[in-house]
Amino acid sequence: MAPNISSGETLALGALPTEGERRIVLAAQRGDEDAFRELYQTYRDPIWALINSLVGDPLQAQDLLQNVFFKAFRGLGGFRFQSGLFTWIYRIAHNECRNHLRKPRVPFVPLEAVLGSQDEIDRARVSDRSEARKAALRAAVMELPFKMREVIVFKYLEGLSYKEMSRILGCPPGTVASRLNRALAELEGRLRPSGGLF
Amino acid sequence: MSWRCFRTRRGFVPYLEGGLPPRTAERIEKHLAQCRRCGELLDRLRAGHEAGLQFGRIGPELGRRPPAFEELRAVIGPARDARGLPVRPAGAFLRALTAPMAVRVLILLVLAQTVLLVVIYRNTLWPAGGRAAISLVNGQIQDFTPLRITEFASNTKSPVVTEGIVRDVYFDKEEKTLHIKLVDIQQKSEPFVICEVRSPAGMDIPREGSRVRVYGMARYDPQPGRGWNEVNPVMTIAVLKR
Repeated sequence: MAPNISSGETLALGALPTEGERRIVLAAQRGDEDAFRELYQTYRDPIWALINSLVGDPLQAQDLLQNVFFKAFRGLGGFRFQSGLFTWIYRIAHNECRNHLRKPRVPFVPLEAVLGSQDEIDRARVSDRSEARKAALRAAVMELPFKMREVIVFKYLEGLSYKEMSRILGCPPGTVASRLNRALAELEGRLRPSGGLF
Repeated sequence: MSWRCFRTRRGFVPYLEGGLPPRTAERIEKHLAQCRRCGELLDRLRAGHEAGLQFGRIGPELGRRPPAFEELRAVIGPARDARGLPVRPAGAFLRALTAPMAVRVLILLVLAQTVLLVVIYRNTLWPAGGRAAISLVNGQIQDFTPLRITEFASNTKSPVVTEGIVRDVYFDKEEKTLHIKLVDIQQKSEPFVICEVRSPAGMDIPREGSRVRVYGMARYDPQPGRGWNEVNPVMTIAVLKR
């Protein structure tokens, strides 16, 4: 049975791996399939939320999630415990999203967006102001440039500290603070014309 | 923007969160009282911060569930190491061993080996019915009669193999022989047998207290002052327990 990565430990973007992380990495490095499963089940949801926030498209997010874990699993053999495991996977996910968004591509329009899914039809029926506000806010975040969006996502969705953000982004905490200021000012600017939702 | 504005603005988000030390917060407020542009920016950031908090609560539009592990594995294939080779699961060997057929074969092998070892061990040392033990000594197969130290007094056979605990080791400089006194029980000095090694050069001399097995010719030394049983000459000696 694979060691439990999170027994008694909360997921944290630490500078060094926790004891649970160390155990699961060693098990995975030995090829223990249960360890891979445990690793995936532990990190899947936060990484899924991160990718969705950064990319904004669940279909593309699924591909990216697969890429992230493919790279993580393949790279585990060379993991040298010089950073926390969560930080390491987080960084892979962040790079994957950034590289994905850098690629020039034909704008992706899902068929459901054209035809309208049953969900959307149903949602439209019960459409209320609260849903509209959520949609507007999500849209405003998604329209931010990637460098601004990522700090908003890290700060407010993932609840990371400046130090943790700097570890993932590879820049000093002061730069993170400046970037966050710019991102918040930009977000405020994008939300203001839409009718003072907040 | 002055250096003071630059420094103050970096602390705006922690200030909005109320996470700054009192002195730093005071410094920011003092600056805000003097700098209109920083005050305006702080107002914008406060609205942006509220929006950020709201976004943190509602999260992104996830739409669908992320794939289960099995789905992921089906897409990305088996685990591979740094060289790109499939990783062999650590439990695979164990699982193969515990497969019904493999278990049966393994158990049979272990049993057969155990029986073989028991037979060899019994026949080599203390064969039933006083049968001779066969051992390879000095490159030759020889028959040795297993003999306990207590049985030497009534023994008429030779060569013999015996086991005992080294009680004393003595090197006779005149005869250039090594004498090893073996006893049956460590705490008792009798009965004993003296094992005489005629060419001890290069030999790994057993320590006192170690348990040894000695192969050699059994004889009685009738010299005055002696009158003891011997294994003389010793053909080979094996330390069983140091």
